[in-house]
Amino acid sequence: MAARLEISSLSLRYSQGAPLAISALSLTIPEGSCVGIVGPTGAGKTTLLHCLAGILGKHHPGIVLSGRLQIGDVAYEGFPRDILFPTVGLVLQDPFVQISGVRDKVYEELLFTIENTGRGGEGSDFLIQSVLRNLGIEHLANRKPTTLSGGETQRVALASILIAEPSVLLLDEPITALDATAQAKLRAILKGLHGKTTVLLTDTQIDFPLSVCDEIVILDQGKMIVAGKPRQLLSDGHDLANVGGWKRWGRITARLKDLSHEASREAPRILKALGLR
Amino acid sequence: MSKSIRQRIAEELTGPALPFVAFCIALNLTAGQVTAALKIPLYLDSIGTILVAVLVGPWAAVLCGSTANLLAAAFGNPTMMFFIPVVAVIGAFTGVVAKLGWFRKWYLVCLGGILQGILAAMVSAPISAYLFSGVMMAGTDFLVLYFRSLGNTLMNSVLYQGLASDPADKLVSYLIVFLLVRNLPQRLLARLHGAANLRTPDPTP
Amino acid sequence: MLPWAYQAFLCVLVITARFAIPQLRPQSERSSKAFSRFLLYSVAVATFVILLNSMLIRGGATMGSILGFSLYEEGLFFGVRTASRLLLLTYAVLLFFVSTPLKELIRFLQQKGLSPSFTLILLLTLHFLDHLPARIHQIFLAQQARGAPVDAGIVSRSRALLSILSPLVLSSIVESIDRGTALELRGFLNRPQDARLITQPTAERNALTIILLAGTIILLLATLSRWLLG
Repeated sequence: MAARLEISSLSLRYSQGAPLAISALSLTIPEGSCVGIVGPTGAGKTTLLHCLAGILGKHHPGIVLSGRLQIGDVAYEGFPRDILFPTVGLVLQDPFVQISGVRDKVYEELLFTIENTGRGGEGSDFLIQSVLRNLGIEHLANRKPTTLSGGETQRVALASILIAEPSVLLLDEPITALDATAQAKLRAILKGLHGKTTVLLTDTQIDFPLSVCDEIVILDQGKMIVAGKPRQLLSDGHDLANVGGWKRWGRITARLKDLSHEASREAPRILKALGLR
Repeated sequence: MSKSIRQRIAEELTGPALPFVAFCIALNLTAGQVTAALKIPLYLDSIGTILVAVLVGPWAAVLCGSTANLLAAAFGNPTMMFFIPVVAVIGAFTGVVAKLGWFRKWYLVCLGGILQGILAAMVSAPISAYLFSGVMMAGTDFLVLYFRSLGNTLMNSVLYQGLASDPADKLVSYLIVFLLVRNLPQRLLARLHGAANLRTPDPTP
Repeated sequence: MLPWAYQAFLCVLVITARFAIPQLRPQSERSSKAFSRFLLYSVAVATFVILLNSMLIRGGATMGSILGFSLYEEGLFFGVRTASRLLLLTYAVLLFFVSTPLKELIRFLQQKGLSPSFTLILLLTLHFLDHLPARIHQIFLAQQARGAPVDAGIVSRSRALLSILSPLVLSSIVESIDRGTALELRGFLNRPQDARLITQPTAERNALTIILLAGTIILLLATLSRWLLG
């Protein structure tokens, strides 16, 4: 079941005296929505996701961390590691390392996660088949995980996390190794998760988040620069040269504004096709 | 209160350490391919164990070395199984000297390598002499024969052969590991238990 | 019978068992090749050990000569005893491993209480052993393409060794951290102790095999204790 995610004044340094990797970040993500964190390399996107997943917390050697996390009604102090799974699920940037390497079939990979939650038993098969079906990878059930393509591995990695039924799903640059077809499949999957799971994804380019996210947050040098709904963000005239694709979208929306001023019938159709409803 | 062995092993074998130990076991078994391709007369069959000892800890290193020898026996070199005590000593000793900070200075690395080699020769000599009568099906058997022909006992001959080859071999392995780890980024190392072994301690304020 | 005869007999028994008993046959192509390779190699070494000891240990009657070197009875018996002990120890270990698939051994150990962490290490090692040679080759080619002196003198080749090992180790640390993180993210470290990490099916058991193996082990122990007690 989806949960509301609330981050309050999160600040993080990797060690005492090091520069701030995340600076006083506060963010609220409504339950069931999809939010995109966009920013250049080194903006702090992966650091943020690792904090939310409990990888970087007060238990991490040398870390200087402050802030508060609330998922649904539960508040977490210090971003603890063990408690956050399976409430929070993170799909890493490299899907190949997400595969355990100890199971010979995709079906068994998913079973591995269920066993880790202590819920193995009669209902496992139904759950696995249902996740495989939802992600369109039932045909891969008996395949060896190490023989899959990049897109297939990405979906199996996603399945291995979704099988734990997380309330919050984090995706670290999910389209890095995907071609256009695989990106379209992932887009469809994320739209299918809308309302069922709260999703937070990161990217260096704004294109993919524009097409799937309800809200976009621009991050740079650990600070939130601006946040808002995609269309509003584009039309508000921000100068975000560091955000990949920003200038291109700026030119597109400027042209679309001209079209709408000319009362063209094409403008609404184009906006809808671009997903900027 | 001092920690139990189980607690110490659990402290060392955190999430990231598990795949790293597995990789180092595999490295012990395959590093010979690299040296063979370059035609360098080195075995490097303990390089993974030394890496684990420095970057994770002594208990993980004992595990790494022992498992590598067990698997080497499984893959067609059965004599390796009987030398598990030797690799256990290599792992434990290297882990201890790494904790003492010896892998921060090259001259201490050299000293550690030579001492390690002497220790390895002393531990392997009785195994080689009593179980295998000094015959290891390797080129070093000729060295044993040579020492025997000088009138030495079997045990002494095997020990002298070990002292002639092991310190040099371990010295080279130690230096290779030192050169490999000294420039690793701290942010990566921080995820492994042995990160402090390579970090120069902060001066007292 | 003399002690060397016991050992020699056991050697023959172990080798015969590998060929005669189906359940003791190698479980894979790789195991079969490993056993055959080791068999040939060990026969060569055993012959060398017997001949050398026959020439060096001069006692008892002269048994013959090779290339002008006389072979003595005492040295021959000592050589046979040494060679057969060496072969017996190594064959017994090798026979165990070639006839037991590693994954089945790991499954058995897990059943007997091996921790999930150590089971995972063993399974991941097998995974890395499959992929590491290809990665080493890839790095070797990449470094060669950059002009690494892989064919020059020993000093240059030693520097090339570091240029291959360095990216291999660095990339493995990065991958290990990511893999370890991924395992934590999937809750592995909190896994219930009784959840099986590997569920390989059990191989068939055979009463004759068990009796023969037990008999061999008893004979081996008897020989070892006789040797140790003088």
